[in-house]
Amino acid sequence: MAEAFKPVILRHINEPGSHTLDHYLARGGYETARSLVGTADPASLIKIVTDSGLRGRGGAGFPTGKKWSFLAKGTGKPIYLAVNADESEPGTFKDRHILEKDPHQLLEGVILTCWAIQSRHAFIYLRGEFILGYERMGAALAEAKAKGFIGKNIFGKGFDLKVVVMRGAGAYICGEETGMLSSIEGGRGYPKIKPPFPAVSGLFQCPTIVNNVETIAAVTHIYKHGAAWHKQWGTEKSPGFKLFCLSGAVKNPGVYEVPLGMPMKEFIEVYGGGLVEGRSLKAVIPGGLSAPLLTPEMVEKCTLDYESLAALGSMLGSGGITVLHDGVDLMSAVTNTMRFYHHESCGQCTPCREGTGWLEKLAHKFHAGHAHAGDVDLVGEVAQNMRGRTICVLADAAAMPMQSYLEHFRGEFEKRVHEPAYVERQRTARDEITPEAKRETVAHGAPNVTDVGMGTDRV
Amino acid sequence: MKTLSPERLRRFHDMVDDYPNKRSMLMMTLRLVEEEFGCIDDAGMEIAAELCGVAPSHVQGMVTFYTHFKRPDHGRHRFMVCATLMCALDGNTDQALKQIKDKLGLSPGEKTKDGLFSCEKVECLADCDRPPVVQKDFEHFCAMKGKVLDEYIDGLLKKEGKTPEAYRAVPGAPMDLRVSVLPSHYNFVGDASRTTAVPPPLHTPLSAPVADGVNMNGAKHG
Repeated sequence: MAEAFKPVILRHINEPGSHTLDHYLARGGYETARSLVGTADPASLIKIVTDSGLRGRGGAGFPTGKKWSFLAKGTGKPIYLAVNADESEPGTFKDRHILEKDPHQLLEGVILTCWAIQSRHAFIYLRGEFILGYERMGAALAEAKAKGFIGKNIFGKGFDLKVVVMRGAGAYICGEETGMLSSIEGGRGYPKIKPPFPAVSGLFQCPTIVNNVETIAAVTHIYKHGAAWHKQWGTEKSPGFKLFCLSGAVKNPGVYEVPLGMPMKEFIEVYGGGLVEGRSLKAVIPGGLSAPLLTPEMVEKCTLDYESLAALGSMLGSGGITVLHDGVDLMSAVTNTMRFYHHESCGQCTPCREGTGWLEKLAHKFHAGHAHAGDVDLVGEVAQNMRGRTICVLADAAAMPMQSYLEHFRGEFEKRVHEPAYVERQRTARDEITPEAKRETVAHGAPNVTDVGMGTDRV
Repeated sequence: MKTLSPERLRRFHDMVDDYPNKRSMLMMTLRLVEEEFGCIDDAGMEIAAELCGVAPSHVQGMVTFYTHFKRPDHGRHRFMVCATLMCALDGNTDQALKQIKDKLGLSPGEKTKDGLFSCEKVECLADCDRPPVVQKDFEHFCAMKGKVLDEYIDGLLKKEGKTPEAYRAVPGAPMDLRVSVLPSHYNFVGDASRTTAVPPPLHTPLSAPVADGVNMNGAKHG
């Protein structure tokens, strides 16, 4: 049976000097890489990760071993590894801790991953705002290079590996894998249409594996302890452990590492210390800002794994859990959320560029109490029309929370409607042109109907 | 005509081996330019374009797409206050913005008339457990409100030899970050009002050693 869980990835982050090479070596660092690189069979290494059931920790939860096995073989092109450290999903701050406090753990994972997928060139793409993380990663890379862990002929095993740490400059869209690749290539962070998937044609049109920081950090431990060790925690379909970031109205916000499958209620009570004094629970955003909301009843039956949250119509996402207390004005929250997506839409696809703007303006109308009766349905309609129609999932990421606010808290929207009965009458007169209204139109030009659509009353 | 210093050019050439082509070095080259001149203006963009073998228009497309690059219209001290939901809950963002307004007279999107300070709302800075998160150029602070923020601004004012009275009652000027400030070598008379009176060179070099003992997130006021 499973042994009691102790943090794996975060175990050492609070020790002084945990970001230095000496500290990492003292706790057995780089031993796994030294023993496996150049000797272990790469295909068997990919199999270990597949067997371990590790799933991508960046948000989509795609099985990592499967992703690696999709890599195009025999193309004669170099293979790239791109580590996604552009942690920009609001509510998520787990990768920051790995980058700032245990960068060598990540580097060892990069070395092992590169050997497993036979890549000789890895990029670690940090978001521009991670200033300390960039310094620490750069320093760690220099230390590892000086020791001969990275560079030519690493560990004396005849394998060359180049690792590059680079920074973005403040674009949420660069957290999307193909957007990040565009950015590494020296362009604006525009996502590219899939297929071809990066594993076939990614960075510089070469086969590329894109993984999240936490995934790569977990790889080190899986190779150290084996696939069965990883599977002892979690559920059957979501094995292992994961970092969760707790923010909002709890007593002890922060980043915690727990086995998957833990009840969310228990996580909030035990790790978060419960809600702040004198407040009750209104809703929980379970996986970063783009995850649909959970109501208190859903929180009761929710466990922290990919399937449970999917069954509740939400997603585990990046593990950024935000607790909203009963005093939060949801219209204000939804306006803030929609402003974020409108600001961060890259603008390539019309449904997203326009749709996020519409949602923001509509949310503003509700927030300010200017909304009309038809706007409640309009919100749902716009959101639905954004889904699945764009190159990347940013449009879905904006539409999903909006739809969940509407589904669970429709009353809050309706409360803000301005003179609903009056507007409904006007709307009927406009939408169903009766013979009388038609005559009126002919006689007087445009019918005398208040504009209930968008555009005239920007707030 | 501006050029990069020999030291930074050396750092550029050190990177060449790390990237498959010069275009992919653009992000990091722009950071070098930003570090060298304190911001990225048209001349800086041309330098980056030439080094990376791309059109200046492409570089401008980059610089205006990514919001974290410092532009000439930003203040020398650029405050970025996180306004995304997790920070905005319970009025944390508003509190930080109000304090900046009280001390410097700045609303989001404005700079002081002398170009020393600017303030803007930005989206998530990924430190959501301790709101509000504020960045001042390359310094990152969490739980940045109340006394800590006031003292920090006072420290900056003192460094610049200013007092809050100089700014408090004076409304800020709006920043237009999409517009370039024309460099002098163009020999072209631009719109004088768009030229920043005080150019903003103030960036701690990225190679600065990280002292142990400071707050992990760089918050020196702990």
